[in-house]
Amino acid sequence: MPATLTSKRLRAADDAEAIELCFARGWTDGLPVVPPTPERVVRMLEAAQLQPSHEITYVAHRAVSVTAEKVAINAVMAGCRPEYMPVVVAAIEGIGDPRWSYHGPGTSTAGAAVLLIVNGPIARELDINSGDNLFGPGWRANLTIGRAVRLVMRNVCGSIPGTLDRGTLGHPGKLSFVIAENEAESPWPPLHVERGFRPDQSAVTIVAAAGPRQFYNQLSNTAEGVLTTLADDMRASGNLMGQPHFVVVLAGEHMRTIAGDGWTKAMIREFLYERTKNSYAHLRRTQQMAGAVQPEDETRVRPLVESPDDIFVVAAGGRAGAFSCYIPGWGGKRSSQAVTKEVKR
Amino acid sequence: MIEILDPTVETTTQPIKFVARPGSLAGKRIGLVENTKFNSDRLLQKIGDILVAEHGAADARLWRKHNASVPAHDEIVQEIKATCDVMVAGIGD
Repeated sequence: MPATLTSKRLRAADDAEAIELCFARGWTDGLPVVPPTPERVVRMLEAAQLQPSHEITYVAHRAVSVTAEKVAINAVMAGCRPEYMPVVVAAIEGIGDPRWSYHGPGTSTAGAAVLLIVNGPIARELDINSGDNLFGPGWRANLTIGRAVRLVMRNVCGSIPGTLDRGTLGHPGKLSFVIAENEAESPWPPLHVERGFRPDQSAVTIVAAAGPRQFYNQLSNTAEGVLTTLADDMRASGNLMGQPHFVVVLAGEHMRTIAGDGWTKAMIREFLYERTKNSYAHLRRTQQMAGAVQPEDETRVRPLVESPDDIFVVAAGGRAGAFSCYIPGWGGKRSSQAVTKEVKR
Repeated sequence: MIEILDPTVETTTQPIKFVARPGSLAGKRIGLVENTKFNSDRLLQKIGDILVAEHGAADARLWRKHNASVPAHDEIVQEIKATCDVMVAGIGD
């Protein structure tokens, strides 16, 4: 199998020198990488049962074919275990999907990250974190799978900060932004089932996303109370173009409070959709919308998203703490839409 | 000694042919492609008006992309190819 690898080969004295070589070549995200030796790359390909020349996706906006070999090399560099490779592959299929529309999220000054929400059995098998420190440190799968995707964007798709990645601020999720849904404890159907998959399938939902915003409600013991606080915070967070989606991540305490009142994910979506509309008057007064305030602007409203279904509700985060969060999607619905891809094994 | 594999895509050459630039804009039909960002239509139309008034272009017609994040769609590319001699595109941001 090594003979079929066609990438250019470089030599280094040892791993330490190879790590420096990768920095010198501009192939890293700023952290050291695992040197992608042919043996490591072959193990990555074998775990996903992929031939090196197999095209994972074609990114039309960059006129680039993303092959299994290049994905495997970058996954090795990111520190992935070989068994993570099918999840990385599903994510790469997502960023190449015309609905996700690579150029905007890969380039925009608004600085989108690639949020990956993993559902199904593979999340447990790979120990993809769905609990404490959900977005934070401590889990190899969470940090390396997302890192592999970003390295592919950098090294294969040309999204290099300062050139074709023009994020004004970027955000830490651009290093890695991977979570699993806490299906074991969630009282609700998982996200991938809501998006058309079976519970026993594994799938990744790929969302072009801004950073997570945490909110706090330790006061209320009702669904309506907690969600009222959330809606108040969310309402101010949209931009004028309208987000394509919002991801709402409900952690343990809030999840139990909301579900304890008998609320379904659909009820949560509907409530948030109705309670996050901004009046035109507010948008004009806060200089988010052009023009003077007209009398009818006080009652004319603009929703955050086109439909309640554009709010994805995910059960995840630690059991303790009256905190949850929401994540605004990047851009508008015509610019990028979330896609869900099956993890094929 | 160890070997590592290049994670980047080796560039394959792709010939791109450019139409020769016209020596004069006199009588030329100008196509303008705006990217939907605020005021980009006004800016481009202003440029088009100048090309007509000061450089003798026949006319200047504006097309609109679906949005700033995607390439111009094929329908307007074909229309522009069929009806324009010169085009101006720009990114408003």
